[in-house]
Amino acid sequence: MSSDINERVEENIDEPAPQRAAGLWRDAIRDLRKRPTVIISLLVIIAVLAIGFFPSLFTGTNPKACDISLNKAPAAPGHPFGFSHEGCDYYAQTIYGAGPSIQLSLMVVVGTLIIGGLLGILAGFYGGWLDVVFSRAVDVFNSIPFLLGAILLLTMFRDLSIPFLSTRLQAIIPAVITLIIFGWTSTMRLVRASVIEARNLDYVQAARSLGASNRRLMFRHILPNAIAPVVSLIPLSIAGMISVEATLSFLGLGVRKPEITWGLMIDDATKWFVNGYPMLLLIPSAFLIATVLAFVLLGDALRDALDPKLR
Amino acid sequence: MGRYVIRRLLQAVLTLFFVLFLLHYLLSLAIQVNGNPARTFFGDKPVTAEQLAAVEAKFGTDDPCLDTIGDPCLGMFGKRMGDWLTLDFGTTFHGYSVTEQIAQAVPPTLILFAISTAVWVLIGITAGVLAAMKRGRFFDYLVRTGTTFTVAVPTFLLLVITQQLVGVSLGNWARSTFGRDSFLGIIFQPSYDHDHPFLSLLVPGILLGAFGIAGITRLSRTSMLENLRADFVRTAKAKGLRPRRVTVVHTLRNSLIPVITLIGFAMADALGGTVITEGIYSIPGMGGLAFSATRDNDLTMVIAIVAILSVSFMLVTLIIDLLYAVLDPRIRYE
Repeated sequence: MSSDINERVEENIDEPAPQRAAGLWRDAIRDLRKRPTVIISLLVIIAVLAIGFFPSLFTGTNPKACDISLNKAPAAPGHPFGFSHEGCDYYAQTIYGAGPSIQLSLMVVVGTLIIGGLLGILAGFYGGWLDVVFSRAVDVFNSIPFLLGAILLLTMFRDLSIPFLSTRLQAIIPAVITLIIFGWTSTMRLVRASVIEARNLDYVQAARSLGASNRRLMFRHILPNAIAPVVSLIPLSIAGMISVEATLSFLGLGVRKPEITWGLMIDDATKWFVNGYPMLLLIPSAFLIATVLAFVLLGDALRDALDPKLR
Repeated sequence: MGRYVIRRLLQAVLTLFFVLFLLHYLLSLAIQVNGNPARTFFGDKPVTAEQLAAVEAKFGTDDPCLDTIGDPCLGMFGKRMGDWLTLDFGTTFHGYSVTEQIAQAVPPTLILFAISTAVWVLIGITAGVLAAMKRGRFFDYLVRTGTTFTVAVPTFLLLVITQQLVGVSLGNWARSTFGRDSFLGIIFQPSYDHDHPFLSLLVPGILLGAFGIAGITRLSRTSMLENLRADFVRTAKAKGLRPRRVTVVHTLRNSLIPVITLIGFAMADALGGTVITEGIYSIPGMGGLAFSATRDNDLTMVIAIVAILSVSFMLVTLIIDLLYAVLDPRIRYE
């Protein structure tokens, strides 16, 4: 499941790379390769993805094996970050805390891309009443502020348990669905705008006059050329979702206990911050900020490279 | 112009209707899926059908449509809209009137928003404009790095750390040095103070401004940069106008038009942010009410607040859209 998502995200980034749309993409890649911030953020992202999907490679300690007599004990050999207020190994907790956030944000971004992208193509290509209906739906969902809507929906269905899911998925799926429901609108608007721009261009008319079907026009001709602005938003939306997930977990609404995430760790550590144990708060915060920062920097660089106008 | 205004107003009414219906449908669905909240009123105690019916009637959840999953409960929707029109938002779990609680909660939230809007305008726009004028220099890099970091640091983290460092540590120092009621002692507080609403809201208000400030700063910068290169600015310079007049009247005024739209989006971020800000700083505003209602699972309260905040947000977007059409006559959405 998880590696599948990873592949799909990769695929989305790589898809238009072949010779067909080479100009923009080759220039962008050449431009990106030269920037040290891009290389560093890519390294951080690869490390975080590895931690998120294969935590056992980084620590042999069980993060849920806690010994209350060790609560808030300082670092010891084999336990570089010390112990949490419940006496769990803090390094193992920090490592395992990456997984839910990373997997959740990737799932949300893939979900918004699929739903927003599909509705955007349909609305932009066909226009007419389809466009009116979808665009009004966007208006409705945009009128409810994102975080507020997420808080509402997650409060309502807090106790809902979905059958046939593992505990891990059980803990993150409600948040994933909620964030997709309130997150698909921006992708839809972007795709719709660039499809409308592209649909009357000469190459589309040429393909149409050769007898290409609507589906072929949409997915083989328009989509590859309309996707650049969406691609540059992927790292930024992953960053945003990681940050929102931490916020929701902090409110007790995101990933549910007993799963471990950085947001929940920060919530637990807040009260110890000025009482002599600042590291309990600073360690998960540093990991969270580094991850979000890496995605933001990559996203900014990608956007600059793909949209030279904005520079 | 007139036709555009009418179109936009009709659109707003339609959207308003669907938003309210969506909220109503979600609430009904939550009751249908989770079971009637009246049942939780009794805890584990055994309960007779009459008692249950009485409590259901009291909370307005006695409609039989709430027993079938997926039923849109249209009758209830009409009744609820009627109640909401007369500003009756129901009763909380603890038996208080939601409307009264919200009415008391409005002033702190308004103060908070006044402060954060001032932050957006004074800090965000100024920094963006100055960065554009000093393009490529140190200040420009500083602003750009600064906005990247504001995006990257989740605001709840900023709030928690500031509350602990500024409110507790610095505040304790200020209170022990200058006294409990000194100016600094009141500003640096970890929570809301009823006697000094404005001063104790200053720090959380500024932090709330951190929601969305990055976008405003960046847009002011790019839009200023774009206009500095525009033909009409070159013409103004060529006419021999004084540099200050070119910057302020010709460039700045035109650059700020797109920024106005973004303030609407920043507000959407900040509306969600009030729940966190007021929750962390225990401010008795609307966000604080929503925060505690979320913890108590009090749906009537949460949905009333979400509805009110969404409607105010829609009003702000509507005003901004109309203002935009006045300020920039080129904009017409056919």
